[in-house]
Amino acid sequence: MEEALRNYVQENLLNTPAGTQLELDDDLLGGGMIDSLGMMNLIAHIEEVYALTVPPEDMTIEHFQSIEVICTYIQERKVAS
Amino acid sequence: MSTQLYLLHQSLDVSAAKFPDKLAFKSGKHAVSYSEMHKKSGQLARLLIELGVKKGDRVGIYTNRSLESVIGVYGILRAGAIFVPLDPTAPDKRTLFLIQDCGIQYLISQSAQRKKLARLLQHTPPLRYILGLMADWEVPCIDWQDIWAMPELSHPIRMVEKDLAYIMYTSGSTGQPKGIMHSHFSGLRYARMSADLYEVHEEDLIGTHAPLHFDISTFGYFTAPLVGATSVIIPDAYIILPASLSQLIEKEALSIWYSVPLALIRLLTRGVLDQRDLSSLRWVLFGGEPFPVKHLKALMELWPHARFSNVYGPAEINQCTYYHLPAPPSEEESIPLGTLCANTEMRILDEHDQPVRPDETGELLVRTSTMMTAYWNQPHLTQQGFYIEEPHPGYQETFYRTGDLVRINEKGDLMFLGRKDRQVKLKSYRVELDEIEAVLVAHEAVEEAAIVAIRKEDSLHIEGAVIMKVGDKVNEASLLNHMSQYVPSYAVPEQIHILQTLPYTTSGKINYPVLAEQVSMTQEST
Repeated sequence: MEEALRNYVQENLLNTPAGTQLELDDDLLGGGMIDSLGMMNLIAHIEEVYALTVPPEDMTIEHFQSIEVICTYIQERKVAS
Repeated sequence: MSTQLYLLHQSLDVSAAKFPDKLAFKSGKHAVSYSEMHKKSGQLARLLIELGVKKGDRVGIYTNRSLESVIGVYGILRAGAIFVPLDPTAPDKRTLFLIQDCGIQYLISQSAQRKKLARLLQHTPPLRYILGLMADWEVPCIDWQDIWAMPELSHPIRMVEKDLAYIMYTSGSTGQPKGIMHSHFSGLRYARMSADLYEVHEEDLIGTHAPLHFDISTFGYFTAPLVGATSVIIPDAYIILPASLSQLIEKEALSIWYSVPLALIRLLTRGVLDQRDLSSLRWVLFGGEPFPVKHLKALMELWPHARFSNVYGPAEINQCTYYHLPAPPSEEESIPLGTLCANTEMRILDEHDQPVRPDETGELLVRTSTMMTAYWNQPHLTQQGFYIEEPHPGYQETFYRTGDLVRINEKGDLMFLGRKDRQVKLKSYRVELDEIEAVLVAHEAVEEAAIVAIRKEDSLHIEGAVIMKVGDKVNEASLLNHMSQYVPSYAVPEQIHILQTLPYTTSGKINYPVLAEQVSMTQEST
C-alpha cells in the first residue's frame, strides 16, 4: 500500500518538479509539497481506492502528514469499518 | 529610550524591555519570548553586517510560515537593510526575477527549503550567502546554530523613518511583478493605526494566517509586537487542513483572527466548527478580496461572540478603510468597504480625473501616511500609480490610484463595485464582472465562483466557473437559469464550467488570467 500511495502522490500531486524523490516519512504539508487542492484530491483518491470514507473531523495533520501516517490511518479505518 | 518610535524594529526594543518573558511569536512547536526575539534578531543583524550587508541592501527571506521568517524580518531591519519576502511555493522563474530585479545578494532561509534552494541554485543566481541551513553548495551557507553563537548587535544602525524597510512584490498574475517599497514610516504608521482601530493590546493572541509575502501579514508581523501581543504564525500544514486549523485556534485561544475570506470559508465548510469551542475570538478581520455574503452570514451566526471587520486597502497603501459589521448581513446586501481610516483622505474620480457626483461611481484615490514610497526601479509605473494635486504653487499632495471602483451609499459608507480592470463592455453595456460573480456565488449549491471575460477574435463574452458544495448535483443549465433571473440578458455568462477547483494566486485570491486561459482552452478542445 505504501508504495502504491507514494507513486500516486509522486506522479499526481507534488508541487515539486519531476525527479524529486518522495520518502515515506517526508513532510507533505510543511515543505510546500502538497497544497489544499492536492490534499482534497488525495483524500478523494484514498476514499475511492480503499473503499472508505474520511469524515471531515479526520482530515487532520496527524492523519495526513506523510505517506507513512496516511497508511496507518487507512488501516485503522479499514479495521473500524 | 524615547517612547516615540520611528523605526519598525524599535517596537521590539520597547516590548523586550516591558515584557521580556512574554511570548512574542509562536509557530507550531516553537515559540520565542520578546527578550529572546530581541537577542536572536540582534545576532542575525550582527552577522549580516559582518558578512558585508550595508544599510539599504536588499535581503531576501525564503521561508515558509515559521519563526525563521520573523527573526529574518527583524534581523534584517536591525542591520539597516530592506527585507524582501520570497514565496518558496512560487515558480523558480519568478524567484530568480525578484532576486535579479532588486539585487538580492543575501538570503535568509531554513532547512525545509533545502530541495528548492538546490534547484534554484542550478540557475546560479548572484547570491553571496545563504543563512539558515547547512549545505555543501558553491554559495556559502551558515546554519542557524552558528548564528545563535554570535554576539549581538552592539549599537543601533543610524536610520531615519523615511528609510526603506521592505519591498513586497505584487502577486503579478499578469505581466511583470511590481516591487512595492514601504518605509519604516509607512509600516509603523500602519501598525499604529491598526492597533488603535482594533484596540489590540498585550493580552491578545493574534492568528497570522497570511504568508510573509502577502501584505496582510503586516498585522501579525508589525502590529502585534508594537503592543506586546503574541502573534501565532499558522504553520503551512494547518492551512491545508482546516479541521486542524480550527483545533489550533481553540487550543491557542486566539483572540484576533486575520486572513483572506477563502481561509474562513474553508474553516466554515471543512473545519468541523460544531466540534470546536472558538469563543476566545473577539475580532475576525478579513481582507484581500470580497467575502461572499452567504458564507460571512453563516460564520457570523456561528460565532456571535466575535466582531467582524472588513479590512480594505491595496498593498500599496496597507489599509485605508474599515467596516465593522453591526449584525450578520442579509443575503441581498453586499459588504461595504466602510469608512476611511484616521489620517487618510480620498477622491472619487471619473475616467477624466474629474470628481464624480455624490451618488456616482468612480475610481477611489487615497492619500495616507501608510502609503508606499514607490515601485522599485519602475519610475514610469510609479508615476502612473500616483495622482498629484497642487493646491499651492510648488506644493504637491500625492494620492494613490487604487484601481477600484466605489460609490458612497445612503449611509455614507464606501461600497466596492469592482476593479477598474474588471469592468468590460458587452454589447455596448458596461458590466462589472464582480457584480455578476456575486450573483453566481449566491446560488445555494455554489461554494466558490468566478466570472471571466474572454476575448475571441474581435468579440468579447463572459463565462463562469464554479466549485459546487459537496454532494450538490446542480447542472450548468440550472445555474444559467439562476443567472438569467438576476442579471440582464447581455450579462448572463455564455457558459458556466463546473470545476473541482479554481486557480488561486499564492495569496489566496482567484487568479483570473489563468482561469480565463483554462476556460478558453476547454472550448478549443471541445
